[in-house]
Amino acid sequence: MHESFRLRVVETKMSKMSKEMIHLLGNYGHIGFTFVAAIFIGMGGGIYLDQKVFDGRTAPWFTFIGLAFGIAAGFKSLFDIIKHQNKEFEDKD
Amino acid sequence: MEHPILFISIILEKLGLPIPHGPVGHGLIEQLCAPYMTYTWFTMIFLVVVGKLTLGNLEMVPGKGQNFWEILIGGMDDFFVENMGRELTDKLFPMIATFALYIAVANLIGLIPGFMSPTSSINTTLALTIIVWITHHIIGIRANGLAYVKHFLGPMPILIPLMLPIELISNFARLLSLSIRLFGNIMAKETLLGILFMLAGAYFAPLPIMVLGVLVSLVQAMVFVLLTVVYFTQANEHAH
Repeated sequence: MHESFRLRVVETKMSKMSKEMIHLLGNYGHIGFTFVAAIFIGMGGGIYLDQKVFDGRTAPWFTFIGLAFGIAAGFKSLFDIIKHQNKEFEDKD
Repeated sequence: MEHPILFISIILEKLGLPIPHGPVGHGLIEQLCAPYMTYTWFTMIFLVVVGKLTLGNLEMVPGKGQNFWEILIGGMDDFFVENMGRELTDKLFPMIATFALYIAVANLIGLIPGFMSPTSSINTTLALTIIVWITHHIIGIRANGLAYVKHFLGPMPILIPLMLPIELISNFARLLSLSIRLFGNIMAKETLLGILFMLAGAYFAPLPIMVLGVLVSLVQAMVFVLLTVVYFTQANEHAH
């Protein structure tokens, strides 16, 4: 019983300090990577359409369109992350 | 290359099993003996054995081992309920908690000389990510039925041609970012440790990186689990 109590005290002390920190790291730490991944997927899809599906006849166009969509998707996932964080703050209040 | 000595590989080699010299071997047995596979099994055996040893007989008044697990599992349960709600947590707790424990142990194991992190191979992290990605679609379809498509159609019907590719791309980006983030962080840690050990191991050069490695390992496991929970929650709720 005594052991359990001590462990629980340690836990609450730790959680006060690092819970917020870990939460912020988890929520914001992946912004950069998600953004880049979205751009890569968009542009990769565009290049695939240009080179493989249309055999290079539409050469630069689908790449550019894919790039544009990829950047847009990157910003969209950025907004999603911010929206999620805002909702969490509102829930806490 | 990345690790000077991997003791499971040495034992297997002594037993006469083929050890691949590249990242992935040729043939089934060689692929099964690749370091990331053997250390995955090691992690699994470790978790099962430790769980069995500490939780062999459950008691009303918990001892040290049981206490540790009660706090860990209780904390995870609280965290999931806070984010996903009771119902979804009850359904998915075993899966996400297993991922959390496996990733945390697999990340930390690489800090011990003679071991490597299975998560420093893209194969492991991609497998984990694909499971999460498919599960979040299954959750979405089961919760919303055909209306799950609305998640990908944006707020207004006019915007569908614009929003559909954007939503699809950002959905596939999850697959990429979730797997490569874990892989990249752990692989960087492993490679850095290996190089520092090779350059100035006698002067304890890898020590600061080892301290950072503990932090990175735990944070990455945490981030993976947190994002899994967020994806599951988003798939489960109704479209805006």
